[in-house]
Parts: sequence; structure tokens; C-alpha cells
Amino acid sequence: MTFHPILSALLRSKTGPILVALQVGLSLAILANALHIVDERRAMAARPSGLADEHAIFSISVRDVADMTPELELSAMKRQIDVLRAIPGVVAVANVSQMPLSRSGSTASLALDRRQTRESAQASMYIAGDSLVKGFGLRLIEGRDFLPHEVIEVNLSASMKIPAQGMMTKPLADKLWPQASAVGRTIYFGSGENAQAVQIVGVVERLQSPHAQAGPEAEQSIVIPARLYGAGQGSLLSVRTEAGQRDRVMREAETALVRASPMPQLIRMVTVDDDRNARYRADLALQWALIIVSVLLLLVTCSGIVGMASLWVAQRRKQIGVRRALGARRIDILRYFIAENLIITSCGVVTGLLLGVQLNQLLVSQLEVAHLPFVYLAGGAIMLWILGVAAAWGPAWRAARISPATATRGVTQ
Amino acid sequence: MYSYYFRLGVRSLRRNPALTLLMLLTLAVGVAASISTLTVVHVLSGDPIPAKSAKLLVPQIDNGPVAGYTGTQEPKDLQMSYTDAANLLRSGQGRRRTAMYGVTLPIESPRKDLPAFNATGLASTRDFFAMFDVPFLYGQPWSKADDDKGADVVVLGRATAQRLFGNNNPVGMQVTQRSTPYIVVGVVDTWAPLPRYYKLIGGDPFGRAEEFFIPLNNATQRKIAPSGNVSCEVDREPGFAALLTSECTWLQFWFELGDASERDALHGWLRNYTQDQQRLARLKRNAPVGLYDVMQWMEKLKVVGNDSKLSAWLAFGFLLLCLVNTVGLLLAKFSARAAEIGVRRALGASRMDIFRQFVIETAVVGLAGGVLGLVLAFGALNLIGMQSTAMAAVAHIDWKMLLLTFVVSVLSSLLAGVLPTWRACNVTPAMQLKSQ
Amino acid sequence: MLHMTNLSMVYRTHLIETHALRDFAIHVEEGEFVTVTGPSGSGKTSFLNIAGLLEEFTSGQYILDGVDVKGLDDDARSCLRNEKLGFIFQGFNLIPDLNLYNNVDVPLRYRGFDADERRERIEAALSQVGLSSRMKHYPAELSGGQQQRVAIARALAGSPKLLLADEPTGNLDTQMARGVMELLEEINAAGTTILMVTHDAEMAMRSQRNIHIIDGQVSDVVRGRPSLARIAVPNDVPPTMTA
Repeated sequence: MTFHPILSALLRSKTGPILVALQVGLSLAILANALHIVDERRAMAARPSGLADEHAIFSISVRDVADMTPELELSAMKRQIDVLRAIPGVVAVANVSQMPLSRSGSTASLALDRRQTRESAQASMYIAGDSLVKGFGLRLIEGRDFLPHEVIEVNLSASMKIPAQGMMTKPLADKLWPQASAVGRTIYFGSGENAQAVQIVGVVERLQSPHAQAGPEAEQSIVIPARLYGAGQGSLLSVRTEAGQRDRVMREAETALVRASPMPQLIRMVTVDDDRNARYRADLALQWALIIVSVLLLLVTCSGIVGMASLWVAQRRKQIGVRRALGARRIDILRYFIAENLIITSCGVVTGLLLGVQLNQLLVSQLEVAHLPFVYLAGGAIMLWILGVAAAWGPAWRAARISPATATRGVTQ
Repeated sequence: MYSYYFRLGVRSLRRNPALTLLMLLTLAVGVAASISTLTVVHVLSGDPIPAKSAKLLVPQIDNGPVAGYTGTQEPKDLQMSYTDAANLLRSGQGRRRTAMYGVTLPIESPRKDLPAFNATGLASTRDFFAMFDVPFLYGQPWSKADDDKGADVVVLGRATAQRLFGNNNPVGMQVTQRSTPYIVVGVVDTWAPLPRYYKLIGGDPFGRAEEFFIPLNNATQRKIAPSGNVSCEVDREPGFAALLTSECTWLQFWFELGDASERDALHGWLRNYTQDQQRLARLKRNAPVGLYDVMQWMEKLKVVGNDSKLSAWLAFGFLLLCLVNTVGLLLAKFSARAAEIGVRRALGASRMDIFRQFVIETAVVGLAGGVLGLVLAFGALNLIGMQSTAMAAVAHIDWKMLLLTFVVSVLSSLLAGVLPTWRACNVTPAMQLKSQ
Repeated sequence: MLHMTNLSMVYRTHLIETHALRDFAIHVEEGEFVTVTGPSGSGKTSFLNIAGLLEEFTSGQYILDGVDVKGLDDDARSCLRNEKLGFIFQGFNLIPDLNLYNNVDVPLRYRGFDADERRERIEAALSQVGLSSRMKHYPAELSGGQQQRVAIARALAGSPKLLLADEPTGNLDTQMARGVMELLEEINAAGTTILMVTHDAEMAMRSQRNIHIIDGQVSDVVRGRPSLARIAVPNDVPPTMTA
């Protein structure tokens, strides 16, 4: 197919082609960026938390309505744990300071050396009075779980002691000791002379922070074995059940806890599933918004191409008739319009590639969006090429049907 | 003449319904997307207290350790320590001042049939209510005497009062919080600025409103732990008393000025204060003092999240696409009327007449598109509202945005119509008549 | 060259049936210059369209240069048009967005000639009509007579056996018209058969052979060989190439 005469004809009346090319370009720029963001968010929401079966874990926070002394708080907590463990279908119960994906928790500043002034890492801190490896179903890949004597009891109204052992996630271990195993090494909480030393006894594959941030901080967690009490806030317990048993256990847990306590209590239960949905709700909504806009983009561009192509066919009826009279076959006419459309779409695609990169740079600098990999632009370009040809096919087909007699009889026939 | 053009415009829309529908839909969808995302940004970044927002100021004092301080980094937490808060409360600077922190307490109702429940509230000073123009349904804030001695008094939120006492006036009644009886001195009327700009740190600034308010001194005396962010860059001793004397930050502080011009004076005073504290070796860093009014504070804490801005930008990009598309459609529509234009010109219409006719016609398209766009925008905002409680509260069109919808729609249409209208004006009568 | 027998063409528009041509018969030999006349609605245009393979006829037989046209599919007809026929229209019908070179090029592209062959033919055709100096110009920059001559060049570039002209001088003033007619006579002298539809009764009377169509039927008049070009000038002024 010959492009040169088509190109020179297009250049003579540039307005229409420019409008179409501009639409294609804008679509590509927005589409590539939008789909990239959708992918990023989807990947982020799909990250596993490290818990063995999220559908089978829920947390209970129990708080006495009346004030209690720290000792009473501790015995209440232990009683609650025993009561929960006795419920059939319960695999493990753990007292823990925070739940992953719950968007509420604390972080600790870690240093490799006491003398440092700057922290080596900031990690999400899980303080657990019972085994989290059992309680969350974490995957231990190096070292071992805590031994019973390593778990200390800390009365928060009197002491801020940190246990001597700790466990961390592999990403955190890799950050602190890139080539070596973390097991056996020492980390310091805080810095300076009073920084407390903690020896790492085990490494788990992953455990996400409560905030599950977008970046690598989400995977940097440390677990220390301590049962905290005496803050006047009640206890937070994580319960892991057998598969499918969670809802029943939740009902029985509430009844059992109420029955076991002489004092009125405030009990609140939240499943990990609910936490996950709440955490990623906004991201999911953004994904849907972007997908809807992308579909609309393609529809609008498609309608623009169809409209323009139909208009040109209508405006050039006589010319098409003349070409047919001069010997063009139907397929020659079809090819002419498709070629014309391809030229315009290609110009649009080139424009779109440039615009897309520019738009991404703007988003990166202003809105903390990630850098756009080329594959999205390439994919978008292919999508628009196909769309362009598909959209132009209808009008091109109608053009090919125009009778050669149009040359002599005129357009009205 | 203009009503004639208006009728011509409407008639022209009816002539080719398919083309008209396509044009209106394209324009409407672009307008709807832009307006709905813009509404969210507009509400999120709106001034919650326009009469006072320049007079309410947050001081920001960096009390971090000097080890590892480079001189330029921002402090990790923007709240204030108790020592600074107490000092500033005593300072008498500004017309009023208040410090606050979030607390969670179990409330027991005097009614036996209602079980106890966990309530989230605020521990603050009495000036809080006057500073933020909090409306009262019953009673009033606690007295200065009660404020100073930290009496066991409480102001309830309207929903909480309803829950505990029904429709009766509960002033003077008692509620038990954590085994302690508190006297109700007032009930706050429905008050839900979104976001809760006075306490942006800790908790959800778009979530439920406070259920109760107690005096700050009462909370510290009764050792009620903060329920919110507590940031300690230096080790501290255990216990609540140690928390008060430590350099942990967990309170939020506001000044109210008599007039916005007093701001510089306050800033100067704060700088002197920090220098004094540095001399006393309490504040270790030689860091600048921050002072933010309401809008600056909301900007600093990124109340308008990146996601909302992203949505708005992409929506406007989409509107631009719809605009370019509309130019093409209008060109097609007007070029089909070349014969009519030729005849009109031959019959005596000037170029200006043709221009006016087609500008009005374009405006008609814009108005019709605006109506359709508004309908679609409502739908879009409903969808946005499903995102989170924050969005549900924020995704509503006020009359300003309604007006903006039509302005955007008509302007877009006119902009798209510039080229086609210009072409229409340049149609020469003769050429069109001959090629009939 | 062109042989039609028992040709009928029936239009059906909505529920009305029109017989554009009925029992039409015509025979044109190679090298003839035939004019075709008739009042409006007589079927001239239908005849021309059928002759030019632009439309299909309902019944009868049409043999063009030895090829029986009936039963040819659209593609075959297009090829036949491309190879054997040349068209000249009243409204010139040049493509406005292409320059003269590209306009003449159009039928050659469909023929499948390579670039060199096309260039040769285009240059030859344009110099034959006297417009090779303006190859890169656009139709809008030319007068009516010049445009028609480009159209003739386009028709000639493919070396057609039969040239069909639909009122070629209808949109031209007398000077230009005479120039075009002289050109056509030259072409006919070189061996190309020409079939020309015209309104001009005088031109028809003076032509070598005139076919008059009324109500879809033919009355054929054959004469000697006067020059049609002379008719374009009412007074006897020596012809000069103008336009």
C-alpha cells in the first residue's frame, strides 16, 4: 500500500487528522498511567501478611469497666487466655500488642551499635506474651521460636524492660545484615548507653506491619517476647482457629469470656479479613475509578475515530466514486481508508508516548506515584492501534461500497 | 435575536439525534468525572472555620535529641510534650489557648438496661469550646475553677447524651467513667467539621465525632493514658508520671489570636521561649519554631490525600479528551450546515450574525451537557462515597459545585466550539450555493 | 470495440420502476469518434455508466473490446475499467488534495505499474496536454480548461482503448472548450476510440456520427468527418491554443 499520496493528502487538510491524533495521544498517555497505577495497587493489596490463614484468625480486646490493679490485670489476662484455649476449634491464642493490617500499632528504632547516633532501621514492634509463630501461623525459616523462660512479664506502670531475645522478619534481617544470617546477632533498641540489647534467636519469612504501608517498611517487623500489663487498657488477644471454624468460635468466645469474669467487661472482636478490607478499601475504590475512566477513554476515542472517519467518507463520496471509475477495486478503497487511519493513529501513538512519559514525570514529582515502566506504554499503544483500525473499519467498509456511478451521477444517488 | 438563535440551537440538536446524543454524552461524562473528583478535593481542602482560620495557630516545637541531628530534618512527630504544653498554657499568649489529647474510657450508664461501652473522647481545657465555636445544646463548658483543679466534670456529645439519657437534659446528672462518677455540665450540639481539623493526628479525622470532653487536668491527675499517637525519641521511665515529665510528644496545642496581625509577635515570643528552654538544657536541638494556621496545618498534614488529587488530575485529563472529541463532533455538525450558512449569508446575514448564532448553539450544547453531566456527577459521587467513611461524608455537591458544573460544561463547549464556529463564519455564500 | 445488444436497464427506487434503457443496441468500431445526445432523463447517463462499467444492466449483452461484460464480478469490472477505459467528466473530478502529478498517478497505482513506468507515463501524458511544467501544482491553482486537460492526461496515462467523455466542455468558456476539443480530436486521430456525451446539438450535428437517445432508445445518424473543434467558435477566427 502506498502511503505517500495518502500522507500528502492528509497534510493538506490537517484539522481533522490532528484532532483524531490528539485524542489517540491523550488516551494513550492517560491510559498507560492509569493502568500502571491500577496494577501497582492491586499488587500492593495482594501482598500476604505472613499469617498462615487469614480467614481463621481474629483479635479480641477485653477491657474491664472498672479500674484494676496491674496484678489483677495480669491474672485476668491469663484467665482469658485459658478460657479461650478451652474452646473447641481453637488452634492457638496469643497475647499481642498489635495486629497486622489493623492500622494501629507502634514502631521501634533499632541500632546495630550502641554508639550510633542515627537509627539503622525502624521496625514495627510486636510484643507478644505467647508464641506468635503458633498464634499467627508464621513461617519460621531460620533459628527457633522463643523458649518459655525467655518470655518476661512487664508491669508497664513500673518498668520499661525489654526482653533479651527477639525475632525478626527476613526483609528486616537482610536490611541489617545483608549477606549473613541474623540468628545469634545483637540489635539495640534506641541508641546511646541506655539502649537495650536484644539477641535474635529466629527469623520468620514475613510479618506485615499494622499499617501495611506501600513501601518496604511494611515488611520490617520485630517480635519480642513479653507479656505487657498494667497500662489500664485491658488485653489484646489473637485467636487462631481451625479452617472454617472462625465465626462459631467468635460467638462462643464472647459467651465464654463473659461467663468467666465476675466484673462487667467491654469486649470487641475484629477479624483479620475485616482489617484487610478496611486497609485496602480506598485503594480498591481508586482502582475501580481508574478502570472506569480508562474504559470511558477508549469509548470516547473510538467514537471520535468512527465519527471522523464517517465524516471523511461522506465528504469524499464523489472522490471515492471517481477512484472506482478509474479502476480501484473495493479492497483498494478499504485499504486506502485503513492506511489513512493507521497513519493518523500512529501519529497519535507517538504523541501519546511522549505525553505519557511527561504525565508520569509530573505524577512522580507531585503525587508520589511510581515510575512508569515502558511495557504499559507499549501495551497501550498496541491497544489503541487495534482500536483505531477496528473503529475505522465500519466507515471504510461503507466507503468501499460506494458505487462507481457516483462519479457521473453525483452524490445524491 | 438571541432567543431566535436559542430556538435554532435547540432545533438543530433535535435534527440529528444520534449525533446530538453522542456529543452530549461525551461532554457530560467529561464534566461529571471532573466535577465529582473536584468536589472531593474542594470539600477536603475547604476552610472549616473561615471566620477564624487565620487566627487559630498550631505551634510546633522540636524537642528531639541532638544525637544524629543534621540541622535540617523535620521532627518525626508534630505533637507537643506535656512540659511545653503546660508552659504554653500558662504563658497567657494570644487571646486564648488550649491543649488536648485523645482518651478512650468505658462509660457506664445510670440505666441498668444499657451495658457499658467504650467511648472515645477528648481531654482539653475549657477554652477549646470557645476557640472552635463549639455549639452547645444544653449547659455550657466547665468553669475556670473546675478547669484548673481538674474536677470530675464532663461535657457529652449529643449522640452520647441521647444514648445515655434519651431526650432529657442531662446537665447535673452523673455518668461513671472507669469507676469514677463525673458530673455532666453540658451537651455539645451536633458538630462535625470534616475533617476534624483541630485534632488531625492520631485516630481518624473523618471518623466519629468525640463522644465526651473532660478537663485536661482531670485526665492527667487520674492518669488516663493517651489514646492516639505517642512518640518518644528518647527513652523514658515507666508510669504515667514519667510520661508527663518526658520529652515524648502526645498533645496537640492551639493558640487563638485576637487579630491575625498578632502572628509575628507570637512567633517571636515562641522563639524566645525555645531559646530559654535551650539555655535550661531541656530542648537540645537548635531547631526553628513552626507556627501554622488552620489551612497551613491541613496542608502540612496532607488532608487532601494524593489519591484524591490523582483522581482529580486524571479526571481533568479525561475532560480534555472529551473536549477534543467535541471539537471534532462540532466540526462535523457545522460542516454539514455549510449550505444553510451560505443561504443565510446570501440572504443578508453578516459574519457576526453567523458567529452569534453558532456561539449560542454551542452554548445550548453546553447547557444540555451540563444537565446530563450533573446527573452523572451525582452517580459518580455516590460511587466515590463507597470508598470509605471519609469519602462518604465528603462526597456531596453543594450549590457552589452545582453552579460550577454548568460553568465548566458551557465553557468547555464554547472552547470546543471556537474552531468550528470560526470555520462557519468563513463560509462564502457563493461557493456553497453553486455546489448545490 | 463496443457492442451492446438488447440492453435493458431498470431502476427500482422505492416502489417505482423506471426503465432507463430499453432494448438498447449500439455498435461502435475502433477509432470512431461518436457523440451521444438526448434530452434530460433520456438515459444518456445510464448508457454512459453502463458503457463505462460503472453500473450493471438488467438484461441484454455488452461486449467491450471482445470481452463479454456480463457475469464479471466487481473486481474484474474494476480491472477492466482500469486497463481499457479512460474517463473525462464535466466537473473534471480531480482530487483536490493531490497535486497534478499524483492526480494522474491514481489509475496507474491501481494498475500495479512500478515507480519508473508510472513516472514515464505521467510525464508523457502531462506533456501531451501541455501541462508538464506545472506537475507539482494543485488543481485549485489551475483554470477550468487546464483542469480538464489534466483530467484528460489522467484518462490517457493508462493507454486506454476507449475514452468516455461526459460533457467535457460543459463548464468551460468557448476558448477553453475549443482547446479541449482539439486535443480530443488529436487523441482520436492517434487511434483511441472516443464516446462523448454532449448537450450541444450543433456539435452533435457536425460530428462524424451521432447517437441520439430518447426514452431509452436509440436513433443513429452517421455522417462524414467534420471538425468538432470548429464549432466551439461561432465566428470564423483561426483557432489558437489558449487557456
